[in-house]
Amino acid sequence: MSQSPLDPFKDILGVEFTPERLAENLESYRSILDEIRKLRELDLTEVHPAIIFEPTAPYRQEPEQ
Amino acid sequence: MTRKLWAEPIEALAPRVRSGELKPTALTQAYLDRIAAVDGKLNSFIHVATDALAQARVAEGEIKAGKYRGPLHGIAVCIKDNYTTADMPTTVGSTAPGLSYPMRDSAAAKRLRESGAILIGKTRTHEFAWGNVTPPVRNPWDLERVPSGSSGGTGAAVAAGLCAAGMGSDTGGSIRMPASVCGTVGLKATFGRISRDGIIPHSWSLDHAGPLTRTVADTAHMLQVLAGYDPADPACQDQPVPDYAKALGKPVKGLRLGVCRNHFFERNHPDVEHAVESAIEDLAGKGASVHEFKIPMLEYGLGAIFAIELASSTAYHDVSLRAGRTPHFQPDVRTLVEVGRFVTAPDYLKAEQYRTVLMQAFRDVFTRVDVIVTPTSPIPAWKIGSKTMDVGGKEESVLAASWRFTYPFNLAGLPTISIPCGFTRENLPIGLQIAAKPFDEMTVLRVAHAYERMHDWSERLPPI
Repeated sequence: MSQSPLDPFKDILGVEFTPERLAENLESYRSILDEIRKLRELDLTEVHPAIIFEPTAPYRQEPEQ
Repeated sequence: MTRKLWAEPIEALAPRVRSGELKPTALTQAYLDRIAAVDGKLNSFIHVATDALAQARVAEGEIKAGKYRGPLHGIAVCIKDNYTTADMPTTVGSTAPGLSYPMRDSAAAKRLRESGAILIGKTRTHEFAWGNVTPPVRNPWDLERVPSGSSGGTGAAVAAGLCAAGMGSDTGGSIRMPASVCGTVGLKATFGRISRDGIIPHSWSLDHAGPLTRTVADTAHMLQVLAGYDPADPACQDQPVPDYAKALGKPVKGLRLGVCRNHFFERNHPDVEHAVESAIEDLAGKGASVHEFKIPMLEYGLGAIFAIELASSTAYHDVSLRAGRTPHFQPDVRTLVEVGRFVTAPDYLKAEQYRTVLMQAFRDVFTRVDVIVTPTSPIPAWKIGSKTMDVGGKEESVLAASWRFTYPFNLAGLPTISIPCGFTRENLPIGLQIAAKPFDEMTVLRVAHAYERMHDWSERLPPI
């Protein structure tokens, strides 16, 4: 049995706005997206993101007094 | 002419409190009187501590008994309404239903109490620290203008002498922008220098804690109390805490000032441009060398901070989104929280990759210079309700322009201060921004203090 196609907003982005509100938000996002598009143009393939996974973090203790 | 108590900086008040000449109860009462007299116009406080005088009496007794704790003992400070406190409610500037925050002291509140400071009240924040207007707070230099934000309540309160100092938080400039347009000092310390435990998160990897004060020495006193390791903040670093007062009174001769000619000097209000160029000349006149450079990658910074800030804020507010609570947020904040859903995971990670590149670019610059000097904001305080302003000959969104020079230092996590460096022809304060390499707050304070002593900007009082 075929399923209905995924909705890019509702199903993929998890956005559940009314059509009017969705349109308003998309318009508000336009200028922000222009800046993010510039960022997308950069080739940063070899660059590690500034996020460090630290498995020891939960074991941090108060410093010795 | 003798200045009013409320107009004095901590550096002038503390010796008098220590000697017993000035009683904390008298000083606290002076601030409470000042709040009663002018905060009806400013709206900077959302909550005034009912036990402020009781706190002052405790401090007074301790000092009288010879148990002086340090320069903040008996001094009234305010806390931005996004820091939790055990004895005052926290709203984060929101009236949306279904939200509540713990009644416990944030790390900063705890440290300030331990220093003997009087927590005189909570100051207003732009809702969820998302924005740079802070309604309904007004700017004490011109009540028709904004105090900027999101720490606009603290900026207005400190500038108007409603307390001696206060706490702000800074995700893209929210300490430094209010400091700049309200005419105070504002420090965003290195990411990891001051614990953010108990600050309601806005964007985990961009949020910084820090003080707003009347003078650079007062900032050094506040930082001394606030800095230090706290395992409760996953980003806090276990680094030595120097004696920040030792940065004060030192000459700048021989220091290398970096001036980034792209991004920071391309489009400014002419009075801002003039004041900052004059400040650079002043510092050069005292023997600092000036080194001009460019960081072309700054061109991509706005997209990066948007991606990180929006995605993070939306993740934090996900429960509110799913509960249908966002329509109860203020319209501007509602939109930002909702559109954060549009930022994709690859966009977010690209922004974090960009941050690595930007941090490396700053690191390279700091092999050639000791500090970077810029305007804090290209514009002075704007009129309440204004959406655009002429910025260096181009009509521009005030919201877009106002944080242009501050957010790069959030992306890079560098210690950065804003200090007063003059006034526009309309008598509005202008801010000078000084940044250094990570954990080099000492050099930031050294340059800031050296500049401050050349002028009387920090002694001027708003006309309220």
